[in-house]
Amino acid sequence: MIFLLIISILAYIQFFDSSPVHDKKKIVTFCGAASKPVMEEAALEFERDYGIEVELHFSGSGTMLSQMKISKTGDLYIPGSHDYMLRAMRDEVVDPDTIEMLAFLVPQIIVQEGNPKNIQSLEDLTKPEIKVGIGDPISVCVGEYAVELLKYNELYESVEPNIVVHAESCSRTAALVTAEQVDAIIGWDVFAKWNPKKTDVVLIKPERIPKIACIPGAISVYSTDKESAQKFLNFLHSEGGQQIFRKYGYLSTIEEARIYAPLASTPEIVKTD
Amino acid sequence: MKAFSDRLFILFVAISTGFFVLFFLGILISMAWYTDFQTLVSTILSEEISFSIRLTLLTATIAVIFCTMVSVPTAYMLSRMDFTGKNWIDTLLDIPIVLPPISLGAALLMFFSTPVGKSIEDATIKFVFSEPGIILAQFTVISAISIRLMKSTFDNIDPKYEAVARTLRCNKFQAFFRVTLPLAKNGLIASIILSWARAVGEFGASVTLAGATRMKTETLSIAIYLSLSTADIEKTVAIVFILLLISVFVLFLIRRVSGREPFM
Repeated sequence: MIFLLIISILAYIQFFDSSPVHDKKKIVTFCGAASKPVMEEAALEFERDYGIEVELHFSGSGTMLSQMKISKTGDLYIPGSHDYMLRAMRDEVVDPDTIEMLAFLVPQIIVQEGNPKNIQSLEDLTKPEIKVGIGDPISVCVGEYAVELLKYNELYESVEPNIVVHAESCSRTAALVTAEQVDAIIGWDVFAKWNPKKTDVVLIKPERIPKIACIPGAISVYSTDKESAQKFLNFLHSEGGQQIFRKYGYLSTIEEARIYAPLASTPEIVKTD
Repeated sequence: MKAFSDRLFILFVAISTGFFVLFFLGILISMAWYTDFQTLVSTILSEEISFSIRLTLLTATIAVIFCTMVSVPTAYMLSRMDFTGKNWIDTLLDIPIVLPPISLGAALLMFFSTPVGKSIEDATIKFVFSEPGIILAQFTVISAISIRLMKSTFDNIDPKYEAVARTLRCNKFQAFFRVTLPLAKNGLIASIILSWARAVGEFGASVTLAGATRMKTETLSIAIYLSLSTADIEKTVAIVFILLLISVFVLFLIRRVSGREPFM
């Protein structure tokens, strides 16, 4: 028994040899899953250019905020929507002066490849045979936006009977349509780019979108290396970082987002500069 | 010398027990730090959570009843009979223990997308994104636990008792229900308790198959997840304590009702 214990401890040490050869700087970033593909690529590029390692954690924006609050760790917080940034500001988890807008998101209807149910507008979601999925309206930002969008267009009452499921996260909302569990979801425009072979996007008429969402980033108050964190945030905001966002279909400026939603209100985070 | 080694032995087991007690008390106490009594009360009284409590208790109980009905005969067969392919079946039935619940949920979801799955749903009830989906998910996850425990219980009962019952003109049913099952009582209770407890805490498979729709498929574990997802730590901890209180109460009750202390 003791022999086994010793063997397993030795194996563990061997396996997770944590003694770094060179003392490399490392920052820990908590991200909402909405920016996963971008952040993964950006972190690699940043590490290559600046020699600072970025450890990424992904989950729902709220889950990430909970983990930061409980563990009191993390250098950067990059939620999937500004609502969570407001919450992080209120809970004094981030330094409001460091908030940067990194990308913008617009809600659209995402359908299965080839649009088999021929969904063309929000009204089509009220048809009796259509199965609609949305994110959980309270904990998932894209779910909250879906409900707001439907209410704004006075369609919530009639679409609600067709909503067969609330997904527990942003990425699960996207997966509902790729796994053909529902006919349509109300998701971010980028969802279609995540899985272009299995999804199509049906654009909602620009004037019917009430709100643009954004992916903000800010330095956490728990950060132990604010300088490196700021460097990564600057990198994401720089042309190089923005290119990665664009590559994955994210809208990098508010002007671009305005094309899809000219009447929408802008995210209400006002940067103090 | 003997007395010394005996004392050393007692000390050793006491230290281990003490470690576990302190470990879990420590975790619970540090959780309590993050909430307060008022949040706990308001959470219990909220419509959403009282719905979750009812849904969780109901689905877990139904899942355990169904599961026990199938797992007892299966365990009996694996324990008492020899047939070709037995080892394969034995291994197959262990799969739910190895696979993460979320992958079981995904597998179920995929199954119901196939023509066979769809026709089963059409002919019976809807499982995908609905309440029966929770029961099916829990059933899938707990089946292996239940079969395993029942099998080891039957393994420990001498088949001679049954043989004697048979010589006294019992048929196989009578021998099973009058002799073997009463002898297996403790194991059966332990199996029910563990399966039920596991079903109550089930998350991955249920959330994948049944979704996380509030006031519909929101069990307590899903409520914990959703509330952590809204960064509402006070409420999260409150729900954890509610789940804990209910579970401890029910488990205690089962032990009392069953009269004896089961071997678990």
